[in-house]
Amino acid sequence: MPLSYPSGTISEHLATRNAATMFDVSHLGTVRVEGPSAFDLLQKTLTNDLDKIAPGRAQYTHLLDDRTGSVTDDIIVWWIDREVFDIMPNASNTSSVLASIPGQDITRERAIIAVQGPKARSLAALLLPEVNQLSHFGVVRSRWNRQPITIAGTGYTGEDGIEVFVPNQFAPSLWNELANVGVMPAGLGARDTLRLEAGLPLHGHELGEGITPLQVGLEWVVAFSKPDFLGRKALLAEKNRGITRKLVGLRGFSRQPLRRDQEIVKDGRPIGFTTSGNFSPVYGVGIAMGFIEPDCDIGQEVVLESKGKSIPAEIVKLPFVKKAYAKQR
Amino acid sequence: MSEPENLLFTVDHEWVRVEGGTVIIGITDYAQEALGDIVFVQLPTPNDVVSANSTLSEVESTKSVSDIYAPVSGRVIKVNETLSTSPELMNSSPYGDGWIAVLEMSDEHELENLLTLEEYQKLIDN
Repeated sequence: MPLSYPSGTISEHLATRNAATMFDVSHLGTVRVEGPSAFDLLQKTLTNDLDKIAPGRAQYTHLLDDRTGSVTDDIIVWWIDREVFDIMPNASNTSSVLASIPGQDITRERAIIAVQGPKARSLAALLLPEVNQLSHFGVVRSRWNRQPITIAGTGYTGEDGIEVFVPNQFAPSLWNELANVGVMPAGLGARDTLRLEAGLPLHGHELGEGITPLQVGLEWVVAFSKPDFLGRKALLAEKNRGITRKLVGLRGFSRQPLRRDQEIVKDGRPIGFTTSGNFSPVYGVGIAMGFIEPDCDIGQEVVLESKGKSIPAEIVKLPFVKKAYAKQR
Repeated sequence: MSEPENLLFTVDHEWVRVEGGTVIIGITDYAQEALGDIVFVQLPTPNDVVSANSTLSEVESTKSVSDIYAPVSGRVIKVNETLSTSPELMNSSPYGDGWIAVLEMSDEHELENLLTLEEYQKLIDN
């Protein structure tokens, strides 16, 4: 995926918020886990509870380091058929996921096109009619031009949309047909500003070594009710002890982009640091996510400092842009 | 868009238009293309006295932060205030409405250190 297409990051971003764009996200990993023991393996490894869903649904979940409770990777599980699961790690984490979840790495066999935005479904449905019936986080197997495809109501922009799993050699023609019905190509730059506005964490920034799901406000991803999953003990200990930092949003007062690794200073005292930042095309100001001390409240004014620069900002609740997912169907 | 004639250039992808004892400066089309969507410009302060190659301003795009250097020594006599609300002009019109500032030169001999169009073209072709 390029950083941007000729239209540029800002137009691609706004087209995703107002109409529909598509991203080539084939770089994501895919590990297929199948067979009679697949469910039990995932259930005792990953944090979320598969009993909350069923075949034909997807679920956001975490793989934790067993000793520390740090997030090794954040993953979407597509429960395709009773004994067939496709799990989607971040590209660079596929091998560490394979180490905990022995499955088949099928990354190279398929392409994934994400179609995102308020018009994503209606436009994609012109080519893939089953999209009309697909719920948010629903998963359906289908055919397109006689080729097997899988569609999920998932994405990483905060907008409604779908992701389509298609055999490699047919991806270019699907891409072109989507372009012909009016879906605009978008690149990595827009993908990053979109997920930032939507307050969605990115591994290596808001998730990773030393960072637990509790610190980033993702306790809903963790099913403590399950008797076992990797990292359960460490996480339960942190929950009882209380977290030492929390993830919040930061909103600047000018167009100046906020950036990662800026120190968050309140009344002359450092209280945290930023993990991701940029310019928000929707609000026209700099925004960031960052960790601060847990007792520091929303609404406080702070200064972001780095390289001799001081940028005033306000601590705000995440997300910046309300998620606009389709209602449950 | 190609880099226009009658301008001088720097190795940092800035252009200079000489008008009497002053220079108008901006970034080249090549530079705006490389930066991507420009979203913020820290404009120079009028009346500041700057020396050649010192930092004059800062430009931020969705992907990076870049310094703008003074191509020659002098005093800032005018800045393009429009850029504070419409920095995208540097993308859409790098040689026109996207100009950054006007400097009053203190040593016109410094212009000899700048590149001609042909020399700049060679730099970006390599």
